[in-house]
Amino acid sequence: MQLLVNIIVLASIYALIACGYVLIYRTSRVLNLAHGELMMLAAYVLVATASLFAGHPVVALAAAALLGLVVGALVYVALMRRLTGEGVLAAVLATVALGVLLRGVIVLFWSGQQRYPIESLGWSNPTITLIGDARISTASATLVLTTFVVYAGLLLFLRFTRWGVRMRAAGQNPLLAAQRGIRLHGIYAAAWGLSTFTGGLAGILLAIDAGLTQTMAVIGLKAFPAALVGGLDSLLGAALGALIVAVAEVLLIYYVDPLLAEVVPFLVLIAMLIVRPWGLFGTREELDRV
Amino acid sequence: MPFASGYFRTSYARDMRLVDTRAQVASLALFLLAAAAFPLLASSFLLDLANQFFLAAIGAVALMLLTGYAGLISLGHAGLLAAGAFTVGILFKEVAAPFWITLPAAAVAGALLGVIFGLPSLRLRGLYLAVSTLALHFVVVYLGGEYETKRGFSTGIVIDPPTLGDFVVTDPHVWYFVLLVAAAGTVWLSLNLLRGKTGRAWRAIRDHETVAEALGINVPAHKLAAFVVSSTLTAVAGALFAYYRGFVSVEAFSLFLSIQYVAMVIIGGMGSILGALLGAAFVTLFPYVIEYLLGVLPVPAAFTNQMFAVNYAAFGLAMALFLVFEPGGLVAIWRRLRNWFVLWPFKQRPLAVTRR
Amino acid sequence: MSEPLLQLEKVEVAYHRVVTAVQGISLHVAPRQIVALLGTNGAGKTTTLRAVSGFLGLDDARVTEGAVIYRGERIENRAPHEITARGVVLVPERDKVFPNLTVAENLIANVPRRRGAGATKRRSELAYEYFPKLAELRGREAGYLSGGERQMLAIGAALACGPELLLVDELSLGLAPLVVYDLTQRLRRIRDEQGIAVLLVEQNAGVALRTADYAYVLENGRMVLDGDPERLAAHEDIQEFYLGQSRGERRSYREVKQYRRSRRWYG
Repeated sequence: MQLLVNIIVLASIYALIACGYVLIYRTSRVLNLAHGELMMLAAYVLVATASLFAGHPVVALAAAALLGLVVGALVYVALMRRLTGEGVLAAVLATVALGVLLRGVIVLFWSGQQRYPIESLGWSNPTITLIGDARISTASATLVLTTFVVYAGLLLFLRFTRWGVRMRAAGQNPLLAAQRGIRLHGIYAAAWGLSTFTGGLAGILLAIDAGLTQTMAVIGLKAFPAALVGGLDSLLGAALGALIVAVAEVLLIYYVDPLLAEVVPFLVLIAMLIVRPWGLFGTREELDRV
Repeated sequence: MPFASGYFRTSYARDMRLVDTRAQVASLALFLLAAAAFPLLASSFLLDLANQFFLAAIGAVALMLLTGYAGLISLGHAGLLAAGAFTVGILFKEVAAPFWITLPAAAVAGALLGVIFGLPSLRLRGLYLAVSTLALHFVVVYLGGEYETKRGFSTGIVIDPPTLGDFVVTDPHVWYFVLLVAAAGTVWLSLNLLRGKTGRAWRAIRDHETVAEALGINVPAHKLAAFVVSSTLTAVAGALFAYYRGFVSVEAFSLFLSIQYVAMVIIGGMGSILGALLGAAFVTLFPYVIEYLLGVLPVPAAFTNQMFAVNYAAFGLAMALFLVFEPGGLVAIWRRLRNWFVLWPFKQRPLAVTRR
Repeated sequence: MSEPLLQLEKVEVAYHRVVTAVQGISLHVAPRQIVALLGTNGAGKTTTLRAVSGFLGLDDARVTEGAVIYRGERIENRAPHEITARGVVLVPERDKVFPNLTVAENLIANVPRRRGAGATKRRSELAYEYFPKLAELRGREAGYLSGGERQMLAIGAALACGPELLLVDELSLGLAPLVVYDLTQRLRRIRDEQGIAVLLVEQNAGVALRTADYAYVLENGRMVLDGDPERLAAHEDIQEFYLGQSRGERRSYREVKQYRRSRRWYG
């Protein structure tokens, strides 16, 4: 039973992070390999806002999350927008460079020591006992709930609202979208902002639950296989992919070897690339350049 | 190389020559002379720097062959270096093998791993291929870590320097020549591959794979060949690295190392061996330049305490700046400079380059 | 005579900074006028339309000389969405709909000129009014539509943007003659009732000359002839090379090989 809880928690973490990859890929066909570092940035910003808004933890939380959104849009405007027309690989390498830059900057400003933002927020993280003696921390439970809410919100947004339809249209055919009056740069900036917002939520909740070090970005990279397994342009696929990777990881750690934790998502990734490169629900594209 | 006037080739053989005109022969001779004289004049710090550059150059040239010429993106370069280094480490620890067994063994290990890294390229392209190499890198590094833990070398494997009879290779001056020969050999091998059928096939595959296939080029074989050649060279570089440092540990082969090699190729300039060398020089010298700048510029004390973080941040910034402002890399800057001199008083306005 | 809605003055477009696609193109479209642009493959018709509707960075194309003037304002080398916002909407030749969106979603995906509650809905209703078939296909994915339905959706989606000038690229391509006739009739209705001017690019000269009020002929990137449809239909070279009518005599293939008549555009 505890295994099941662990799986659900891990799957939720991966799913919340993975939807960020999907949002950006679906809209602009770019792989944002800096997602882990951006997620970590939001968590470190929480450390700052927690002390800034001491006594108002909810404000601190909201401020950190919103700053995440702003940073995402800024990244698009300042960096990615200048790479239009260069080809997808240049854009991906630019995100890699951004990730490296962010890591350095984060350690410079916040040093490498472990932080516990939950203390600055003045909250506690009691363990809840569920049926069958399975235990889950409050923060983890919140994370699971948040993932559901975020996914529901995103799916409703993309399916039923005008701007969601426009975002999907821009992802399918940018030229036609521009000819129909859609401002592409605005859509892309919005997608980046949304992606960093959801990633930031994941980072913040993880930091509240387990503390914060500069190795958190690794979790971001581990969630990428979840996005790819489901199909890089499918939100539902990302959720399913997260579940698959989480199941594989938890079971293999428990029954085989705990050191496998780092590499299991990538083994699943390789398996998927061999069998079905475009993922479970992805659109079968040329798998070529943009 | 734009020649101002008077350079006419009269046979295909002359066209394919690596060094042709008298000026080229003269400059090559001068360069060799300078390279030979360098260790006599340089301090041990500069010597170590040169050795690091040679080691990086081998890996950079190998990656340039794969990514710049054959157009197959690889983010797993550090994994291949680790494979070479760990082959040396494992063989040394388990059977005390001498270097003339471990080096070829590293090459073979590299070749085998090259086949494995290359298999996805038969089905995947571009982004997905890059991702598969990334995943394989993590797997290789994991296996290396497993070996370290299971055999009790959790802090790393110490390796004795290579011996030739009674002669032990420890002096940096000796290493300089060894690595110079290795790097020069790599460059020469690559240039030969590139001016032959293989190189032309790679360029064709990079530019338009379907057309290459229609022209009768065996695309899968050449893709695998690119991976195998590249990984063999890289594994040898990793093995030499292990001997030079005398130490093998899995922490040295992080994702950041892969990124550094990709940066060498990008910053140097894709599709040019000179670019690989310039990029390798840039990335090797970069941390020292940053350290020097920190000593000279007025920066808060916190920065100097966190050298590693400053390095990271500056490196990411440099890479991003090159990608945005100079996608052609250092080679493009060099060519612009050279053309300014060669074509003076005329100016060359660059045309649009067909993007890949 | 009133101020022309759209004016192209000696427009030249270059791809990749080196390939000149069209040169010296001058034409104008008056309000409520249907103007046809005739030409064979590769004449530069699509490029001319794209010069008006705007290029993206990916195309690496620019209007290098001349001007595109719409309502007195120069609009060349602007982003496509800015031009759509001014009331000039393109119905492209290829990729004219979003294949993974439904018909209804295709119609609301655009950004209408007149904002305000219900603006998008009202314009979608307009599309359904002129193309009732679309209303039946509301929920179907656009990728599964037939050629004629897809063209209807493309024009309807362009209508939903609230244009004053419609640029239609290759209306008849790949469609059955009856469907083409139906579409051209609807286009005239739209022009009559909505007051929208149309610049129609066509390879099918017969269709173009029957639908338009005025026509231009493009060849190899240059404008070679223009006039009323009657004048053009009577022109010998048009009859010969665009309408497929020889001068009454039957010609055997034996003679065609040696036949080489230059086109006299001065008639």
